[in-house]
Formats: sequence, structure tokens, C-alpha cells
Amino acid sequence: MPVRTPHFPDLLFGSAARLRRWEAALMGLLAAQGYRELHPSLVLREAIPDGALRFFDGDDLVALRWDFTVALAGLLARGFSSPPDRVAYAGAVFRRPVQPWEAVERFEVGCERIQPEGESSAEADVELARLLMAIPGALGLKSAILHLGHAALVRRPLEAEGLFGGLADEVVAALSRRAPHRVREVLKGHPSAARLTAHAEAVLSELDGPGTLDALSVSPYAHLLEGEREQMDRALKALLPILPANLELRVDLADVAGLGFYTGPTLRLWAPGAQQELAAGGRYDRLFPDLGRPWQAAGFCVRLSRLLDLAETRPDLFEPLP
Amino acid sequence: MTTSTLLIAFPKGRLGDELVPKLAGTPLALDVEALKSRVLRIPTATPGVAVLLLKGADLPRYVAAGVASLGIVGSDTLDEMDMDLLELADLGFGACRLSLCAQTGVTLDALRAKPHLRLATKFPRATEAWLTREGLTAELVPLSSSAELAPLLGLADAIVDLVQTGSTLRAHGLVETAVLGASSARLVAARGAYLSEPGRIRPLAQLLVTLLRMDP
Repeated sequence: MPVRTPHFPDLLFGSAARLRRWEAALMGLLAAQGYRELHPSLVLREAIPDGALRFFDGDDLVALRWDFTVALAGLLARGFSSPPDRVAYAGAVFRRPVQPWEAVERFEVGCERIQPEGESSAEADVELARLLMAIPGALGLKSAILHLGHAALVRRPLEAEGLFGGLADEVVAALSRRAPHRVREVLKGHPSAARLTAHAEAVLSELDGPGTLDALSVSPYAHLLEGEREQMDRALKALLPILPANLELRVDLADVAGLGFYTGPTLRLWAPGAQQELAAGGRYDRLFPDLGRPWQAAGFCVRLSRLLDLAETRPDLFEPLP
Repeated sequence: MTTSTLLIAFPKGRLGDELVPKLAGTPLALDVEALKSRVLRIPTATPGVAVLLLKGADLPRYVAAGVASLGIVGSDTLDEMDMDLLELADLGFGACRLSLCAQTGVTLDALRAKPHLRLATKFPRATEAWLTREGLTAELVPLSSSAELAPLLGLADAIVDLVQTGSTLRAHGLVETAVLGASSARLVAARGAYLSEPGRIRPLAQLLVTLLRMDP
């Protein structure tokens, strides 16, 4: 349920300067890797969801830009016969908050890696992970944690059991709470209850350490998920040797946030002690085909508003300003 | 917000009364003198770990916002509030039923037959879900305490409330006419604290599970 009294924070001198500095640093980092900026219109006239900030322009219902990825996808699908391979964006999105601490106006910087369908996506996924690994340094974060997940680790077992709709949503909600006992409660009496509960216990058993991927071997769906496990193993082998000293890399087998959107590897950036993730992304190969374009895509978004809040409440997590 | 002390949120009331004695003599035993006072932040036997005593309905907010890293709360409260937090374990104790209760002699069929059914409850969300499952409609009378009085004084035809032993119901001449669900104590964690500082939070969570878990 949306929060009834959303807040619209103003950025005063220090925060405003920090926002400009961070935007410049991150866009510079992305530009150096070949990501070119696109700036979709602030006003959207189609596919307006309930959570958007909506108003009437004459007789037309319009909304303020509520998500860069969706806005960019519309722009690219309409305006390009073949996609640019790397795009970046910076600016504000506007959404009705779900949690009371969320602001309506949120500043973001992000990027998208787009390819024609059928091309190997493994290199693109690693490229994005490497870029995200450079973000904490560009922001002056003293240390950070990168969580690597995979949307298919939960989706494929659900699909294999023929679980869709409300019941699947309840299982995903239980996993989001990291509560295998809730999975058991939700599926009580369902033929897949024992298998999916065992899978939930397997994916929730570890959060870090070298044996994390081994947890999948005790899942009843270990065979089904062999490809995803190999994909994650390859990504870890590519990323661990180049891990910056201030960054930890952890595997999160039970990452289900955005499961309806993501289709492959997922990435989430945390800082020790932060209450919310600071950046998030992953592979979302269904987005462009749903718009009639045979393209696959992945990307991530750095949530600058959350970082500004963190810099106010936990300045000890950041390097001193020059 | 200090990073030095880890805060665990404990519920006041029935669940807290069951919980605190279980920890006596353990590394998480609450300071007895502080417990006797009106202080709501109680040191434990482990330096750097303190307990906040909170009303059950407020507790999930403290945990979801990351003020307390861990908390113990009834699953009935969690189901009503749907806060964004992690639910690490079913601790098993504090088990009770969420039941539809009416005055002795009033049956479920009689309640179903009412053209305008009024139900008083502290649990509107669970009640609405049950009504939907049963294909019923009703006027919900939201209450925050002493729901047992509602049918006696004509505020409602029946109540939906937690029942542990049934003695409070019997004392008010009420009986259970249907069981809507079950509740027990759950160990919850702040999503941010658990995912960003597992080295700090997980050992404490594991200790709480070891000390408190009863097989359901």
C-alpha cells in the first residue's frame, strides 16, 4: 500500500554538491567504458503503472518518468532498428513510496548493455559486474559488498513444478523473507511441497564462502540448475582475481528481488551497515522481446538518493571529501 | 545511530513473558535490575548486545528500519503488517490459534446466516483473507485490545482473536467456532543488517535460535 504522506526532500548545499560530483564521477566511469548517455523524456504518456506520479495534461493521463530502464526501452524500441550496445543514464525518477523512508524523487545513475538475441551474454554479464565493482571507489565508499545471484535459481524450479500466479508469488515472498518454514506453510498439501521446501533450505543455507555454490548440490533441482551453477562459477572465477581490496564478493542463491523482471544473473551492492542496497541490476532478457525487438539486455542502477542518505547518517563509511 | 551496540527487539506482553525466562542464565540473559525498572533498553549478559522492549505492533517497524538488527515477534503480527524484513526461524514457542469466537450457543452456521455480520478484531488482514476464502462479507470493527468484550456488549456478533489456552474466552462466556490460522514466535532480522553485516548478525541469530527454538 503506498505511503499516504510521501516526502519530497530538498537537497541543501553539501548534498547537492555531492550529487553533482557523484553523477559526474559515475558518468565519467561509464563513458570511459564506451557507455553513451541517453536521456529519455521526464514525461511519459504510455504504460503508466499505479506507482507512478500521474497527472492530467489536458485530457491525457501522463506520468513522470518512474523507471529509467523502462523509459529507455521504449525510446530504443521506437527509435532504433538495431540497438546501441552500451547506454548510460543519469537523473531523477518519481515514484509513490511503498516504505515510509522512501522519497518520491530519487536520483539514479545506471547503464545498460544490449545485444541481439542469440549472442553469448556471459561476457556482457562479467563486464557489468566489473563496472559495478568500480562504483564504490568512484563514490568514495570505504568498503562494499557485491552480492551475485541468479533469478533462474528460483524461477526454474517453480516453473518445473507448474507453479505460477498467486501461489508462486507466496513462495517467492517467503524466500524474500529467507523463511523456508514459510515455504512449507504456503505449500502445505501441494505435491511439490517437500521438494520446494528442500530447495528453499538449500538456497538459504549459505550467504558467502567458497562452498556457497555447493549448497545447490543438495537441492532436488540440482540437475535442472546445472547450467546456472556453471554460469555463476565461471563469473566467480572471472571476478575474484580482480576484486578490489575494499570489496567483498558474496554469492546469494536466494536473491528473489525483482524476480518477475530478471531472467539471469543479478547483482546487488551493499555497504557494511547500510540498511538498503545501494545499487542493483541483472539480466532482463524479456524486456525488449515484449516490445517487439529481438534484443537481450542487462544493466544496473546506482541509487544515488540512498547513497546521499547514507552519507548523512553514516559519514564514517565514506572517505573524507577532498 | 551507533554501530557499537547490537540491539534485539523483544515484545512486551504474553510473548515477552514467555521469552525472558528462557534466556535466564544464558549469554543473552537480561539484566535483572534494569528489567525491574521502567527502562526499555536492557543490557544483556553479553557486552555490546542490548534488548529493546517494544509493543508487538511496533516491533517490526524498529527491525525493518534497521534500528534493531534482530527481533522476536508473533507471526500473527508479521502477517498483519507485511513489513520488509527477514524471518529467519520459527522458534516454536508462544503457539496459539487465530480463531473466530462467539458467545456460547452461537454456531458458525448462525454467523454465516447473518445478513449483516459484524466482526471485531485486532487482525483485520487475516480476517479479510478468511472471509474471502469462505465467500463471506462482514463489517470489520477494528479494536486494539479487550476484543472479548465486543460480543458481550453488542459491539460485534463475534471476534477474531488469538487463543492460547481458551481460559480468557471461557471467562467471558465465549467459544471458538472456527480456527483461521496459527501463530508462533518468529526470529526476524533487518534485511540490511543481515545482508550487509552477516559476520556480526548471523552468530547472534544462531545463538537465539539455539537458546529459544522449540520443535513446533
